[in-house]
Amino acid sequence: MGIQRSLNIENEDILTGIQGFLTAILASQDIDAMLVPKRTSAGHSIMPVLISHPRELNGVDPISPQFPLNAARQVSKLTKKPSGKKIAVLLRPCEIRALIELVKLKQGDLSSLLLISIDCPGAYSNKEWASQCATQDMPDAAEFIEHRLSGRDLPIAKACDACEWPVAALADIQIGFFGMDYRKQLLVLFQTAKGEMLADEMALESVQVPEHRSRQLNEYISNRRSAKAQMFENVRKKTNSLTNLEVYFEACVNCYNCRVACPVCYCRECVFNTDVFDHDSYQYLVWARRNGSIKLPCDTLFFHLTRLVHMSLSCVGCGQCTNACPNDIPVSDLFRMVGEDTQAAFDYEAGFDPDQALPLSEFKENEFLDVAGV
Amino acid sequence: MEKRHKNALVVGAGISGIRTALDLAQQGNTVELIDRHPAMGGLLAQLDYQFPTNHCGMCRLLPLTRRDEGSQYCLRKGMFHENIHIRLSCELKNLEGEAGNYTARLRQKPTWVDPDRCVGCGLCEAVCPSEIADCFNEGLSDRKAIHLPVPHAIPNAYVIDLASCTRCGECEKICPADAIQLSQSRRRDFQILVVDDELSIRDSLKEWLDEEDFSVDMAASGGEALDMLGKKPYALMLTDIKMPEMEGTELLELAKTSYPDLVVVMMTAYATVETAVQAMKMGALDYLVKPFDPQTLIPMVVRIFQDTEAAKDLELQVDTVVISTGTTFYDPADPRNLFGYGIYPNVLTHIELERMLSHTGPSQGQLVRLDNQQQVRKIAWLQCIGSRDTQVHADYCSGICCMIALKEAILVKKMTQNSTDTAIFYMDMRTFGKSFQAYYDDAKKDGVRFVRCRIHSLAQDRETRDLVIQYVSKSGEHLTETFDMVVLSTGQRPGHQMKELSDICGVDLNPYGFIQPQPFFPAATGNPGVFVGGSATGLKDVAESVIHASAAGLNASGVIWSHHRQAPLTAQGQEAGPVMDETVRDVSREPVNIFTVICSCGHRLEQEVDPGHIMSGLRDDPEMVGQLVIDRLCTAEGWENMVSALEKVDANRFLIAACHPYVFARKIKTLARKMNLHPSLFHAVDTARLFWSVDSPAKEDGSTSGSRVLQELFQGATVLKHTGTDPIMPIPVTRRALVVGGGIAGMTAALSIADQGVEVDLVERDKSLGGNCLWLTRTLEGDAIGPLLNDTISRIGQHPGINVHTQSSIKDITGQVPSFFTVIETDEKQLVNRSHGAVILATGGSEARTDSYGYGTSDRIMTQKEVAAKWGGDGANPADLGTVVMILCVGSRMQPRNYCSRVCCPTALKQAQDLRQSNPDLDIYIIYRDMMTHGFSEAYFTRARRDNIMFISYEPEHPPEVETDQNRVLVRVNEPTLGVPLEIETDLLVLATGVTPQLPDELSATMGVEKDGNGFFLEADAKWRPVDSLKQGIYACGLVHSPRSVTDTIATAQAAAQRALSILSNETQYSGQIAAQIRHSLCSRCERCIPACPYVARWRDPEDDHIHVNDMMCQGCGACAVVCPNGAAILEGFTGKRMLGVIDAAFQGTTVKEVFLEAEK
Repeated sequence: MGIQRSLNIENEDILTGIQGFLTAILASQDIDAMLVPKRTSAGHSIMPVLISHPRELNGVDPISPQFPLNAARQVSKLTKKPSGKKIAVLLRPCEIRALIELVKLKQGDLSSLLLISIDCPGAYSNKEWASQCATQDMPDAAEFIEHRLSGRDLPIAKACDACEWPVAALADIQIGFFGMDYRKQLLVLFQTAKGEMLADEMALESVQVPEHRSRQLNEYISNRRSAKAQMFENVRKKTNSLTNLEVYFEACVNCYNCRVACPVCYCRECVFNTDVFDHDSYQYLVWARRNGSIKLPCDTLFFHLTRLVHMSLSCVGCGQCTNACPNDIPVSDLFRMVGEDTQAAFDYEAGFDPDQALPLSEFKENEFLDVAGV
Repeated sequence: MEKRHKNALVVGAGISGIRTALDLAQQGNTVELIDRHPAMGGLLAQLDYQFPTNHCGMCRLLPLTRRDEGSQYCLRKGMFHENIHIRLSCELKNLEGEAGNYTARLRQKPTWVDPDRCVGCGLCEAVCPSEIADCFNEGLSDRKAIHLPVPHAIPNAYVIDLASCTRCGECEKICPADAIQLSQSRRRDFQILVVDDELSIRDSLKEWLDEEDFSVDMAASGGEALDMLGKKPYALMLTDIKMPEMEGTELLELAKTSYPDLVVVMMTAYATVETAVQAMKMGALDYLVKPFDPQTLIPMVVRIFQDTEAAKDLELQVDTVVISTGTTFYDPADPRNLFGYGIYPNVLTHIELERMLSHTGPSQGQLVRLDNQQQVRKIAWLQCIGSRDTQVHADYCSGICCMIALKEAILVKKMTQNSTDTAIFYMDMRTFGKSFQAYYDDAKKDGVRFVRCRIHSLAQDRETRDLVIQYVSKSGEHLTETFDMVVLSTGQRPGHQMKELSDICGVDLNPYGFIQPQPFFPAATGNPGVFVGGSATGLKDVAESVIHASAAGLNASGVIWSHHRQAPLTAQGQEAGPVMDETVRDVSREPVNIFTVICSCGHRLEQEVDPGHIMSGLRDDPEMVGQLVIDRLCTAEGWENMVSALEKVDANRFLIAACHPYVFARKIKTLARKMNLHPSLFHAVDTARLFWSVDSPAKEDGSTSGSRVLQELFQGATVLKHTGTDPIMPIPVTRRALVVGGGIAGMTAALSIADQGVEVDLVERDKSLGGNCLWLTRTLEGDAIGPLLNDTISRIGQHPGINVHTQSSIKDITGQVPSFFTVIETDEKQLVNRSHGAVILATGGSEARTDSYGYGTSDRIMTQKEVAAKWGGDGANPADLGTVVMILCVGSRMQPRNYCSRVCCPTALKQAQDLRQSNPDLDIYIIYRDMMTHGFSEAYFTRARRDNIMFISYEPEHPPEVETDQNRVLVRVNEPTLGVPLEIETDLLVLATGVTPQLPDELSATMGVEKDGNGFFLEADAKWRPVDSLKQGIYACGLVHSPRSVTDTIATAQAAAQRALSILSNETQYSGQIAAQIRHSLCSRCERCIPACPYVARWRDPEDDHIHVNDMMCQGCGACAVVCPNGAAILEGFTGKRMLGVIDAAFQGTTVKEVFLEAEK
């Protein structure tokens, strides 16, 4: 069950409380550096920052509802080759799940990491965040959490609204809002052996997990599930034919930002950048003649379908593809829906069990008999 | 007569013959592979599914190295190989000479359709008026006189069954390829002499035969006939027996003396039939009983014409001969027909059922009753029909019918979604193979019913035509059960004309007419240059057939090697081998220039499409630089025309459009060499099928053939635009073998390899060689093991090529085929480093331990091995024994060892025999589950029962109980026939504990071989690659492979040696042109391709941080390319660009979108 402690918050200043906790962790002999979300100097954005000196923890903000990018890719960079150092990383649940996928793809390594996560009530899209910051100061994080937990309607990212995984099961240390009077006290769960080893170094009080936590979580998750069902229904309608699928992606300009933003799109060089799609000039004319015309750049739908084939099995639904789209295509909605289907087909869940082999890496003699026959 | 030389002649092209031929060919030997049928594949051509996988997998027989020397497609469809000449409809007629120098006379029957010309369009079949039963479907459906011998061969040429042909000539008229040569059949040249003193008979015979276009002369007496025979050559003489002056028999004798090749048929009245039979012994071919009509005479004459005159004889010099003619099956209609076979429509043989279950079968895979086509709901199998039955002279088990019935029952359950009731009526369920027990368990789980009793007969309900079986249950109840269908598991019979073949080859037959192999050497016959593989020595499943075939191959290659004293004819192999880079022009920097040659196929092209449209369509692509139409590329003349035209063309890629592109593979290689270009720069596409086939898709969907032809051509052009021309680099072979284990398996393998000039390290853990043979004394058949062991050990000791390391072990094996690096720890704890090209695992097994049945509580309870130690030797006398009880399957065929150990039942019989012989008053009880006396060892089971050895069966749920005290051992068991519990006080209780393998984890790990669930070596494929490890270059034999007798062990050892030699016999090896490559700059090192590779050919090297591929192990399957998302893992010749291009070309003239939109509607 792990070790349960409470982190007391003074003056309802949640950020300072959390910063204090993180300072204690960084002070631990076992930790060499820490990757955390931190406000930029101008204060308009929150970006992952690798910190090795405790003074730099000032300005760390893991609770404001901004999620500019999925930091799993950054963790991959830090661990792909052994550095001999221990790093604590503070990630959202979907970032941890993306990281698990990258680890399975040999793009990262968990052994040198301490995974810390905070209950995630979602975040605004980058555009919404910018517009909120334009009209007021940075939105108040505590208020945001309160609204999210009470079910009040906020214009948050659709991926977050449809996300039923607000808690990271695999984090070594989980910091909790749900079920807590979080302006005064946060829950700290040391969930793994790695986490437990640090529990005693932290001067925290023991606490029982309040019963209310699971109740509140369940309610929150069930709301997210209905939002997801609603989203899937809409996407299905919008993509139920080849023509509709084309309309869905009609604003796409082949910028491939979605691919860059995708935490599990791990290829060193995407196939769409290789010679495979470097068509002969004559070929364009053949295609134009065949249909009477051809839209350029071409291969748009092909690109998205290929990415669905390649990555939907590892899609964790973080929503960054939509976030990155300059033309507001709801890429993530489709990926989330298709990903759920393809993962179910292989009885696979992306980002949960580090020991569960990736589909297609395992040969199963009697698989898909309905498709392949006896 | 043609006369040529080949290293080996393989008679019979079923899987066994194919395995032997491929083994020999891979070594570099030349092989003539013949079969009497017009198609290859033997029995398995008819079987779609094999146990225990329930599917096929025959292609896994294909070579893993030098792949491009042979075909690489479905082996059931046929094959070719540079070193194998396949001759179908061909029989061995004579064999003279000695090992290393035989002259074989082959006779090839005409099929009347030129296979090189036939395009398989089927127009002839449509017009053929003659319908007869289709023997491929076991007579369950009809076919025409002109027909495909099997539905799936490539290329699939029609053949004419002349006996049912009416010679109407319709097929010849309609054949678009001029492939049918019926009227050219030289009947007029076939001279027949009719000898009869009665004019009316002479006249009517002449009239009938004239009508059939034969040349007929007549003679009224024997003297006249002899005169005429002197004047011109006759092929056939039909002579009366009763004639004045000279009797027919005298004429026969005189004629045969002067004209030995003359075929004589006797005509006889009923009274002189015996004389006619006598005449056949004097050389007459056959006889006809008067009065006869043309329907009897003509087919016989046609057959003789076909067999003799029209058949082509040729002589072949060969070093060695392998017989792999397989078996036939018992005909249940003969002679007692207890089961109404052929009378009750729903009684089938198991082969007939296989055809029913096949999608190419008479009911397209639907299991329906043959009387009313209704779905079969209840089906029964009756085992041992024509087997284990002394009344039909079959005191043997047919070995695999139990497994066939299990498979068929499981398949029926699967195919009918479990809705069919399946019951197997059996005596003993003989699941003696490695994984068979688990398969039996699966069948039980699937709900297959097992009824242990022998059915003596069955009846058909007059009205419903249901089949009624009466039987007696175990508890003695008389039961009646009704079935829709009953399948007779008919037993084995010797192969077709086995007697004649054995006479020709000088080999012995056993009393039942199967080839009798030499003691301990299952592939050896009495003739030192003639060997036997597969089922010719008794029916075998695929795995055993393949093992025995490779063993035969080993013996044959040994003869070839000893007569040539060199690595067998590598030069010959290399001439046809892969193309080396320095020999060909490098076109990689030249702009793509494709020249197209289209075959007009007897000017059919012009009739079907507008060549101008095709030409202008091609010219539209700037890279298509020239086009040419040539008629009949399939003919030598057409091909030569093309070759001389191409030599003047300035292009660097050539596209050839014709029928059967795969038949051009060999010609293209030659052409490429001549033009100094890589063969990949030539590509053949099949355009002719678009307008040849009677059900051509072009005609169905109404699109014009022209655009379909263009689509096909552009697909081929795309292949050429992105073709890979990387040279295949030779891989040097470490010509040294490692054999781990010095029992009879390891020693045999070591000798077999060293005898062919390859040095061997033989590593044995113990002080001395010999393994289990050190304690075994004799086989069930009575052959002494001591002399075999002594002979083998002394040959090893004297062999300069074998380095024996006793008291040694393997510390480490790294590297891969064909260069492993081995560390051997010797008896003095020294580490020796050696390199090996191949490894044979022969670590053996031992008798399993037990603590059941009171073992260890009394010295009267012993294992079989302990009994052998005490009484096995000669001279021991168990006189103090009064009663002996043996319990079989102790801990076997159930947990912890859920497999049959195969040797315990024969051992029990042998020990019972031995004990009884030295003490005739001894009471012996054998308590068993299923007696596994498969094959010809069944006779010993029969004999034991005759000798009053008592057999009591038990079910694993109710095992016997044993009680011991100081002086006695009491065995309690339920006697199933009487239904009463028995108590037997015994002086000796023998426990058959079975075999456990010896394969330490460290050894299997360092070798990279896997173990099965019971700790035995896991084969690459249990059926088709039974001695190979999945990791290429490692083979296993003997008890570590599976439980087996000494003889069967030697078969695996020889097979493993032959498989290893197919690598080691060559100085260099090559991969295929289509092989995996890695673009390191694109590779993200995600390693997904490593587990995806089914051939364990990939690894990540930490030193250079690259993924690597072993070229020899890679089989070009492309699994790596599939899992790699960005084309870092690619398959030469199957790059993304090329694949997408080909798909695109297939939509030439239409759009992908249209296709999708159409599908959406």
